[in-house]
Parts: sequence; structure tokens; C-alpha cells
Amino acid sequence: WKKDEFRNCNQTPFCKCARTRTPHSLPRLIVSDLLISDGHLTAHLQPSLSSEDDVSAGDTPHPRPLVLRLSVYQDGILRLKIDEDYSAPSAPSKQRFEVPDVVLPDFEDRRLWLPRVSSTEDGSISSLYLSDGFEVVLRHDPFEIQVRRKRSNDPIISLNSHGLFEFEQLREKKEGEDWEERFRGHTDTRPHGPQSISFDVSFHGAEFVYGIPEHASTSLALRATRGPGVDHSEPYRLFNLDVFEYLHDSPFGLYGSIPFMLSHGLKGSAGFFWLNAAEMQIDVLAPGWDDSAAAGNDRIDTFWMSEAGIVDTFFFVGPGPKDVLQQYASVTGTLAMPQEFAIAYHQCRWNYRDEEDVATVDAGFDEHDIPYDVLWLDIEHTDGKRYFTWDRVLFPNPEEMQKKLAAKGRHMVTIVDPHIKRDDSYYVHKEATDKGYYVKDATGKDFDGWCWSGSSSYPDTLNPEVREWWAEKFSLKNYGGSTPSLYIWNDMNEPSVFNGPEISMPRDALHFGGVEHRELHNVYGLYFHMATADGLLKRGNGKDRPFVLSRAFFAGSQRHGAIWTGDNSADWDQLRSSVPMILTLGLTGISFSGADVGGFFGNPEPELLVRWYQLAAYYPFFRAHAHHDTKRREPWLFGERRTALIREAIHIRYSLLPYYYSLFRKASISGIPIMRPLWLEFPEDKKTFDNSEAFMIGEGILVQGIYEEGQKSVSVYLPGEQSWYNMRNGAAYSGGQTHKLEVFEDSIPSFQKAGSIVPRKYRFRRSTTQMANDPYTLVIALNSSLAAEGELYIDDGKSYDFEQGAYIHRRFVFSNGKLTSSTIHSASLREKKFSSSCTVERIILLGLPSGAKKAVIEPGNHETEIEPGPLTLRGGASSVALVIRKPNVRIADDWTIKVL
Amino acid sequence: ATPIPNKQLLGIDPQDLSFYKSNVIKCKDGSKKFAKELLNDEFCDCPDGTDEPGTSACPEGKFYCQNAGHTPIKIFSSRVNDGVCDCCDGSDEYNSNANCTNTCWEAGKVAREKLKKKIETFKEGLIIRKEEVEKANKAYAKDEADLAKLKSDEKVLKELVQKLREQKERIDKLEEEERLKKEKEEKSLREEEEKSKEQEIKADETQNFDTMDNHEQDGSTGNLDIAVESGNDNMVESKKASTQTAEQHVGEGHDDTLESSDGISQDGEISSYEVPKQDQDDSGSTEELSREELGRLVASRWTSEGADQTTDKIGNVEEDLMDQDSSVAHEHKGYTSETDDDREKDDDDDDNFEDDRDDEFEDDHSSSDASYIADEYEKPDPLDSIEVSSPTWLDKIQQTVQSVLQAFNFFKTPVNVSDATHIRKEYDDTSSKLSKMQSRISSLTEKLKRDFGKEKEFYFFYDQCFESKQNKYVYKICPFKQASQDEGYSNTRLGSWDNFEESYRVMVFNNGEKCWNGPDRSLKVRLRCGLKNEISDVDEPSRCEYTALMSTPALCLEDKLKELEKKLEQMNTRKPQGHHDEL
Repeated sequence: WKKDEFRNCNQTPFCKCARTRTPHSLPRLIVSDLLISDGHLTAHLQPSLSSEDDVSAGDTPHPRPLVLRLSVYQDGILRLKIDEDYSAPSAPSKQRFEVPDVVLPDFEDRRLWLPRVSSTEDGSISSLYLSDGFEVVLRHDPFEIQVRRKRSNDPIISLNSHGLFEFEQLREKKEGEDWEERFRGHTDTRPHGPQSISFDVSFHGAEFVYGIPEHASTSLALRATRGPGVDHSEPYRLFNLDVFEYLHDSPFGLYGSIPFMLSHGLKGSAGFFWLNAAEMQIDVLAPGWDDSAAAGNDRIDTFWMSEAGIVDTFFFVGPGPKDVLQQYASVTGTLAMPQEFAIAYHQCRWNYRDEEDVATVDAGFDEHDIPYDVLWLDIEHTDGKRYFTWDRVLFPNPEEMQKKLAAKGRHMVTIVDPHIKRDDSYYVHKEATDKGYYVKDATGKDFDGWCWSGSSSYPDTLNPEVREWWAEKFSLKNYGGSTPSLYIWNDMNEPSVFNGPEISMPRDALHFGGVEHRELHNVYGLYFHMATADGLLKRGNGKDRPFVLSRAFFAGSQRHGAIWTGDNSADWDQLRSSVPMILTLGLTGISFSGADVGGFFGNPEPELLVRWYQLAAYYPFFRAHAHHDTKRREPWLFGERRTALIREAIHIRYSLLPYYYSLFRKASISGIPIMRPLWLEFPEDKKTFDNSEAFMIGEGILVQGIYEEGQKSVSVYLPGEQSWYNMRNGAAYSGGQTHKLEVFEDSIPSFQKAGSIVPRKYRFRRSTTQMANDPYTLVIALNSSLAAEGELYIDDGKSYDFEQGAYIHRRFVFSNGKLTSSTIHSASLREKKFSSSCTVERIILLGLPSGAKKAVIEPGNHETEIEPGPLTLRGGASSVALVIRKPNVRIADDWTIKVL
Repeated sequence: ATPIPNKQLLGIDPQDLSFYKSNVIKCKDGSKKFAKELLNDEFCDCPDGTDEPGTSACPEGKFYCQNAGHTPIKIFSSRVNDGVCDCCDGSDEYNSNANCTNTCWEAGKVAREKLKKKIETFKEGLIIRKEEVEKANKAYAKDEADLAKLKSDEKVLKELVQKLREQKERIDKLEEEERLKKEKEEKSLREEEEKSKEQEIKADETQNFDTMDNHEQDGSTGNLDIAVESGNDNMVESKKASTQTAEQHVGEGHDDTLESSDGISQDGEISSYEVPKQDQDDSGSTEELSREELGRLVASRWTSEGADQTTDKIGNVEEDLMDQDSSVAHEHKGYTSETDDDREKDDDDDDNFEDDRDDEFEDDHSSSDASYIADEYEKPDPLDSIEVSSPTWLDKIQQTVQSVLQAFNFFKTPVNVSDATHIRKEYDDTSSKLSKMQSRISSLTEKLKRDFGKEKEFYFFYDQCFESKQNKYVYKICPFKQASQDEGYSNTRLGSWDNFEESYRVMVFNNGEKCWNGPDRSLKVRLRCGLKNEISDVDEPSRCEYTALMSTPALCLEDKLKELEKKLEQMNTRKPQGHHDEL
């Protein structure tokens, strides 16, 4: 952690200045010229002039009004845009940057046509219909936007309630004025001068706010950064940065940025998203920050500052937390459905050095009966960090190497970073130079920065033509040594520039269309990720789902692939912070995410490594990775006992793959993450709101991490009214209570919720590929009324045929002593079919009173036995449940099984 | 008991068949019993896999493939019907899409050939090993005898040195008295002369100093030259002050060594203090860097290779430190070896020096020194056998000393210069003999303390180094001493001898040079049976943790040979029907 290398708020003029402002100290903004046009509400915003100004109004030019536009979308979404009035006579020649490609193209189709606006008699307030039960209220003087419940008039979210709205309009440079900014020897020319925006947003009825990744923290709920009780804190910074050895708890910005915040409390949830890719700083204000005597506990005020761009904000009314996530997903999209292999276990290291090393590691997994699906190659596999090439001494036959892995159903991932080596004999560089595809420096020359490849330039992937070109590089023909089983990893795409300001690109670098880097910095990584994923999509003729892991991200990155939390360290605190970090990513759309197992920097103690595997087996993205200075840490290097423990942890993930895959499908449709904070499932249980240690996988599984060395016992809060079944030994625990549990070496506490059905596979293979035809086990945890339900989604795990209906989607319901499997296949999608001959080999019933001996299967009136059995098939496992033996029904069919 | 149907036989080790005969079968872990019809019924009843040897139903199960024509193996149940052919007879894929052909005969043939070759190697190796062990034990016994002899000789020599020292001190005292007296007399005479000549002398001295300085800067041989010159100077210059020559010389040499080793440790300390400083200290200073330098600097945090890669001059504190660090490290390396060289050459020169004056012991001396100098681990024996085994040399010394001592007349004043010189020389010679003998004793003691294996089969490793060239590096492994990685003139210490591991199958070298941002380097050499001592496959699987393979007859063990022969026998007896083994 090189603190001095990064700008803090005080070293950042727009942040320093905005942060010192007090409520209502700026000139009031007044709404005028309000009208409905094209189904939007538009108006002007004009600063009020104090009487003094009126008198002296001679030489100071009258400020241009701002243009405000309100639009309403289906399901309770309000969009507020505020920008310069480019039609005004003194309008600036430069357009401020509006982030394209993040909002889904079909979002506009969901816009509600506003027929009219109703105003109060005195004209001081206008209101708009938002959705059933919610409305938007626009106060004219001073300007304020409020989303509120219709009948009770209870506000939910409001903007500018504290009069902190400030919009620095573009203007001509005055004589003698110095716009340059300097930081640690770097000079930002700032040719367009100050252009920052800041405003306050209040979440009413909120007890906690969450979101705005990426920050490392051991707390899921965002802590106050300013106000009473806060000593001194930086605001939460959103600025994509490559931070060396980041701290486990800090508001400083990391690799990605999503300016989306959610609030939650007993009164409901709400969300606010500011589509802006410039540097952003966000304060969470402690109650009483504005010296108001009535510091209520039911409101959280926040203060948002950005260096450039426009106001393009989205208000989500909820009212439930899942509603907010779905509303946000309808703007920025849901995760791209990954291939099945991608959600299994990945083995990575900087670096697997050569083909022999790859073969040895691959063999090691087989030798120790540990499944894995993907072997990764880091930067050293290339010829001098020229991506798309191979070090032919170390990797003389890359195709053959990949084919050997593929023969066992395994895949490979290679790294492709955005820094292109400035070497005229390197075709990528030559083409990019010739075609003018690089980002330019402030003088218009190709920007030349230093990264792994030495002197490097960066493709300007903001330009669709450049993305097209970049995507072509991934064709099997262009990428020599690649095969169809090779997928991609994008690292360093913040972008990381070793000799740039804050290890990144200068803000005055120029992109396509004259856009300054400062305006799009946070979205650069997304564009690079997008272009790479497009490349893999093209490579497979649109039939093979891409897999691209990226470090940098922005709102919408979920549509392009997986994200990981970057270069973490091998210590217990970082194990702990991985959970809130991944949960936060999930809440802000990035459901497919994980942290490096074991910690990237440093050598984990074996106990930490084992605990990390046990926790990470539940991460949506499950990959082990390590820095090249660390000791080898393949799972079998720590003695037989540890090998067995790690094998078991990885087996747990593989056994749950049917459940995970179904959750991925759900997330790809709804935007509800795979790994969830407890309060997402138990929104009315206050005790869950600030829990950062435990999480849910889907609706049925609760996991509590073990974050301390040698921990002997742990307190686990199990929410809700139903019981929970310990997944290790089947023991039942009542809900709504905190249980003190003994901690075991062999697993971390995990529970299945009574009332849920979890589909699993209890056969272990080398990789997911060999599991395709294996039979299922259904684990049914009955609730107090002896009922349960669950789902299973299956498709070919690879193609897009599911979009034409080639999938199996089952719903399982257990009630009245009968388990029923029925289809929930969308009837409108029947163009293609997916069939499976898989059967159910075992049904485990937890919570069924003993006495059942037989089950009758319909159709066929076929009987099978019920007998006591274990929860897992491990040596020493004892009988803790009733097991229906070999019902052997086909997973694709409709059937019922009655317990007698 | 009913016979077991064929399908149920799947995956069962023939040795286990009887276990599965009864109608109710126990799980091997004792957890429960199951009816025979549940054997291989694709449902896991015993968590240990007893009931599903032929299917993938139990995760802890093992599947036995017969592999007729090759070696039978047991595979994890996870491989059964997984679409990948794991058994060469294809029996693991009896119900999958995989189209496995039986490759056992071909594969078995190759394996048998390989095994036969291996057995041949073991047989031959075993013979070599026996010879070596015999030789080693003899040599070891001789070492022990030599050591005993050396120790008793040491005693005698010590006494002689003691006597000579006493005499010498007496002479010193007498001479000192004479000198003081003479000085007094000359003082008044000289005072006048000095006054007039003062200027000239001063100029001369300065000149002398300059020459000395130049010598010092000559590099590795500088010290040596000075030592020799000053020795010679003294010889020529002062008949009168020759008293201190030899002693001074010895003293000087000693000091030199001390100094240089001090220097090293200081440098070492400095660098280790400065590494952490780098981390904290870079605020502000990066501003003066060129853009490329800054890029390299930041990159080096992740790679830890920055120091090596940064060859350009870098006007920055941080990089400077890093460079210094690496150059210190290099110097350190160079220094150590140079110091070694110095010492050797010093010895050499000692000899020459002595030889110039006295060739009485020339033969003994130079030859014994040569074997010593040629370095502990390059020549077979650091101790000169002639010297140790010849009883005469010690007698000779004794006689000489005796005669010298007797010849000296203490009552004659002034002291007879030639006699005094004689005594002094004899003292110097004898005490240097003693110190050499003592160093031989200590090195031999050191050697004999080593663990040379159960049968002393590694005895001859002690004085040998083994080299292997891999790409640009030459790996030099000196068992019981150290291992290094050499690239051109730079060499990196991979580790010092630690011990054997895994009952003499692995040689461990630890505490090598520290990796920047990483662990201390270390090396593990895995030994295997071979006809020659040869290093191969040096590897660095984890950063700065090296591994190597070494074949040696020392590992060609009888037990292992028997094991291999048994294995071959088994392979040959398990021919599938219809095949004739041409062996």
C-alpha cells in the first residue's frame, strides 16, 4: 500500500472544495420553463441571484441555465438528467461526456410516456406518477427531487434536500487563470477547466446503505465518512486503480467502480445510481452532520462528487431489496450466463512456467483425486508480454497442451492485457499504430506508458471500430496457438500504467471523439472487457459462451464476464473482507465474482489456506491464485490431512454445481445475485442488516466463514422462523436465534434452510465435463409444515441454445408427504430442445418424522425403499436423515414420489 | 454363498474376491452390512466404497483394473465411466461413450523393457556401489588414523613452538635493550643532520605512499602485492629491524582477512536495513525519475526483478538503493570468493617467500599446501599423505630446532644477528606449520563429523562437486558444502549443506542468498540409482526454491532391486492369453 501515490480528497481540488460546503450555502437553484415533451418532463435550472447580484449585474455574465429532464420507466424507476444547455447562445463548444453502452439498449423501450404533470396551485411543486403507490415530486424553489409513497407522502429518496447541488459549467479560461493540476511530478493540463458536479442524496427510512464498490472492507454496510463520531475519513472513492498490496479496510478506490448505492431498513429498500465514469467521491454522512437538531435515525444522507460528466441518475423505489436489484438490472443488465465449467474450480498461479509444469500440475490433481476445470497462464507465457503470442521456449506446443487438457474435459485461460508493447515487429502494435487505434496523449500523439511489456500503448476501446478490430484478434486464426478450449483473462485494465499518475493514465489523455480520459476513466476497463468477450463470441460463431475474467469493472460489466477482487494478500483479515467485497459486487450487479483463494501476495499458513478453500468453495467465482514470489500452494502440498480437507472443500463446490448453475441462470434473468447478504432473504430481520460474516447462497443455504486462526467456536445468527439443518451432520437449529457452535477443522458452518430443496450431484469427477450424465441427489429440508420447494435448471452448459428453449427447468415441491417434479419451462420458447438421461439416484429428507419405509413413484406405481442414511458420502459419515434409495426417475420428466 | 455374477465382479481386486463371497457383506470400515445384490448396484451404501468397487457411486471407492499384459492398478472411482480411458485394458469405461482400446500389451511391453533396463542399471550400480562403499570405508578409516596421528604430532609441535617462542622473546628483549642504547648514542648525532634533510625525506615518503595506494587499488591481488612487497622491503631494507618482519607480515595478513570480512558483514547489514527503507521512502522522490524509470520502478514491486532489469542509471534514491542492494549482493558474492582466493594466494606466497629463503622443506611444504589450496572440495584429500605418513619430517624439525636452540649463545653481547635470525625463522616456520596442521585437524574433524550414509556410501561426495548446465546457468552442487547457480562470472549461492532427507534420498541445501522480496534460496537434490554421479533436471518450481535430480550408484540398493525384479516377474506372469512374451 503506497498511500502517498494516490490522491486523497484534500489533494483533489473538486473534492476538497465540495466537501467543505455547508448545507444551503450555495445560491438557490430554481426550476423554470417546466414542460412535457416526448413523454419526458423538461425544465431549466437557474441559480437565484441575490439582490446584490441584481444590482451589480453588469459585467458578470448571467450564468447559463441548466437543462433538467425527468423520465419514468417501468417498475418504479426515475431517471434524472441535468446537463449544460447546449442551445443557449453562450453554450460551450465541447459536449460533456455521457457514458454510452452501459444502459441496456432496450431500456428506452420501457419508458413510460408522461402525459402530463400536475402542479400544486401555487406552482411551487410538480408531481409525476412513478409506479403504483409511488410518485415523483419536483420542488421548484429551491430545486429538490423527491421520490415518495403516494398516500403517506413518506419520502424514499431525495436529491438536493440540503442544497448542495453544484454544477461547474464549462467556460472560457480567464486571463491569468491556471487550470493545470500537479500531483507527484505529473501535470494534468486540464484544458477544459473545472467541470465538477456534486449534490446530496438522502435515503429516507434507511438504516444502512450498501454498494458503491470497489473498496476493501470488513463491513458490508457502508460506514459514515463524515459527521459526528467520524474522526477523519476519506470519502469513498470511485476511481479504478491498480493498488499494490491494498489494505483490507479502506475507503480508497480499487480496481473497479459502480456508482450504485442501495439503502435498506425496516421500511424498505431503495437505490440510487449515477451513470458517470469520471472520478467520483462519495461521503456517507453521519446523523447530525448538518448540525440539524433533529438528527433522525431513519435517514441516511450522502454526498456525491464527480470531477466531470453530467448528471444522469436513476432512482429505484424498491420497495423490497430484490426489487431494487431487479430495477437496477433493468438499467445495466444481468450477468451473462457462463459456461458450466466456468463456475467450477480454477487453478491459477503467476506463473505456470512451461508445458511440463502445466502437465505436472494437471497430473497432480488427478493423482490426488481433486477436480478442477481450468488451468490458467499468467503474463510469463507470452513472448515478452506480447499478448496473443507464446514464449516458444517454454510453450513450444500450446495447441497440443490445450488438447491434452481438453481430453480430460478441462479448459485453459491465458491472460491478455491492454498494454500493447511498442515494438514495430509486433503485429498488434503495428496494426494499432497504422490504424490510429491507440489512446492519444494530450498532444495528440499515441499515448506511451510503461507496463509489463515496457513502453506500451493502449487500444482505445471506446471506439466501436477499435473494439471490432480487437475482437478479431481472438479468432483461432489470428491468435496462434489458441484452441476452442482456451478462454481469456483481462488484467491491468483500470488501466494500469506504471509510470502514470496514480499508476494509471493521465486524465488529459484523449479518446475517440475527443473525450478526455478523465471523463471515462472508470469505464475504460469495461470497454476492454466487452471487446474481449465479443472476440470470444465471434470466435465461436456466436455459439460458444465467452469466459473473460476482468479486474477493472464498471456498472454493466456483469454482461461481459466475471470479476475478481484483484491482488489481495494471504492474511486472515483479507479472508474476512472478501465476503463483504463479493457481496457488494453482487448487490451492484456483478454476481459472478470471487477473491483469489489463499491471497495473491504472501504465503498463507496451511490453516488459512484450508479455511480459504472452505469459504471460497461458495464464492460464485472460485479460483486459486498466487504471486510468483510465493511458495507453491497446489492443494496437495501441505500434507495428507490438508490435502483431504482441501479436496473436501472443492468437492462441496462440485456437489453443489447443479444448485449453483440454477442460481446463475436465475441471476442472468433477474439480477438477483448468487451470493447474497442475509437481509436480501430476510429483509425484515434487523439482526441481519449489519452481518458481514455470513451470507446466503440462493435462498436455501447459509454459510458462516471462519476468519480467525485456531478458532474453536463461532456464533452464528440463523434468521427467520424456520429451522436450519447443519450441512455437515444434519443437526437442526431453530431460526431467529444466535447459536454458539463448535468449529471443526473439516468444514465451515453451513446450513440448509428448512423449506428448501437443493439439487446436488454426489459423484466426483475430474471436471464438470464428466459430470454431465451423472445422477442427481435431492436434499430436501422440510419446514415446520413438512413442506419444501426448490428448482433445478439444466442446459448443455456451453451454447446459447437455451435462448431458444433448449433447457430443462424443474420445480420440486414437497408437501403432504409427496414430492412433485414439474416443469417451469417457458412455453414460448420451444424452438430447440435439450434432453437429459440423468436420473435421481437419491433423495435425502431432513426433518421427516422417522417411520417412513417405502416410497411409491408415479407414473409406474413403482416402489422403492426408504432407509436411514448419511448426508454426505464420506468415510465415517453417520445416518442422520431418511433416504429414498434409487428412485431412478429421470430428471427431465414429470413425476411424483409419495412417502409411505 | 452364491457365486458372484459377472457384473458384480467389476472393479474387485482378485485378492479381495473371498471378501465378497458371503450373501451379506460387511463394509470394510465396519459401518454397516449390505446384501450381496447391492454390490455394484450404482448406489453407495458403504461410505468407504466397499459396496461399489465397480461403479462411481461412492466417492471413496477404488476400481481395480486387471490390465492383463501390463500392471494391474487401482483407480479412483471418480474415473469409472467418466469418458476418459484410464485403464489400459479399458475396463473402467464399460458403460460410457468412450471408445477405449486395449493397449496393455503394447504399453506393457514398453514398461517391461523400461523395467528391465532399470533392473540392469540397478545390478551394475549395485556392484559399483559395493566397490565404492568398500573404498569409502577404507578411506574413512585412514582419515581417522590420520587424524589421530595429526593430533599427537600437534602436541609435539606445540611444545617446540612454545620453546622457540620463549627463546625468541628473550632475544627480542636483548635486542631491544641494545637498540635503545644505540639510539641514545646516535640521537644527538642525528639531530643536526635531520634538520637539513627533513624536506627531502618528506617528499620521498609521499612518493612511497602513492605507490602503495596504487597497489591497493589494483583489485583482488592488491593486498597480496603489498604483503609481498612490504615483506621484501623489510628484508632488503632492514637488517637491523628485521625482528618484526615476519610477525608483522603474519599480523598484516590476518588483519586483512578480518577487515575484508568485516566489510562484508557491514555491507550485508546495510543492505538488509535498506530494503525495507525502500518501501517507505519513495514519497516525493519519484518525481525526478524519467517516465521509463518510474514505470520500471513500479513494475518492480510486483516482479521483484526490478533491480536486475534496471541497468540504466537511475538518479533516484529508491532505485539507487535497489541498485546498491543488488551490487552489494554481487560484491558480496565476488568478495567472498575473492577473499578465498586471497587467502589461498597468500598461502602460496607464504610458501614462495619461505622457499626463497629456505628450501629445506620445499617438497613437503608446497605439496601439502597445494592439496590444501586446491580447495577442500576439488582435490580428493586436503591432507597430504606423504606429510602425514612420513615420520621423518617431525623428527627433522625437532632436530633442527634442537640444534638452533643449542647454537644460540645468550651470554654473548651484542646478540649474534645470524643466530637470532635463525631462531626467529625457525619460530615462524614451526608456528606456521603448527597452524596449518591445526587447520588440517579441524577440517578433518569437520569432515569426519559428517553423515556419509548408512554404509558411508556418500563418503566420496565430500570432496566432489557436480555440475550441470541448463540454458545459461551452470549449477554447481558440492555435497556437504554448498550449491550455486553460476551465470558467467556471477554466481548465486543456492544454499549451504543442511542434511539428507527421506532416508538419504534427498540432499538439502538451505539458507542460500536471499531472494529480493522472497525467501532465502534453497535446493533439494533428489537422488536416484544411476551408474554415474550426474546432475539433471534442475528446476525452480517455486520462486527461489530449486530442485534437481541426481543419479548415483549410491542409491542402487539391493532391496529396491529385489522389488523391481519381483515386479518384472509379476508382469511377465500376467501375460494375457494368446500372447507370447518374447522375453
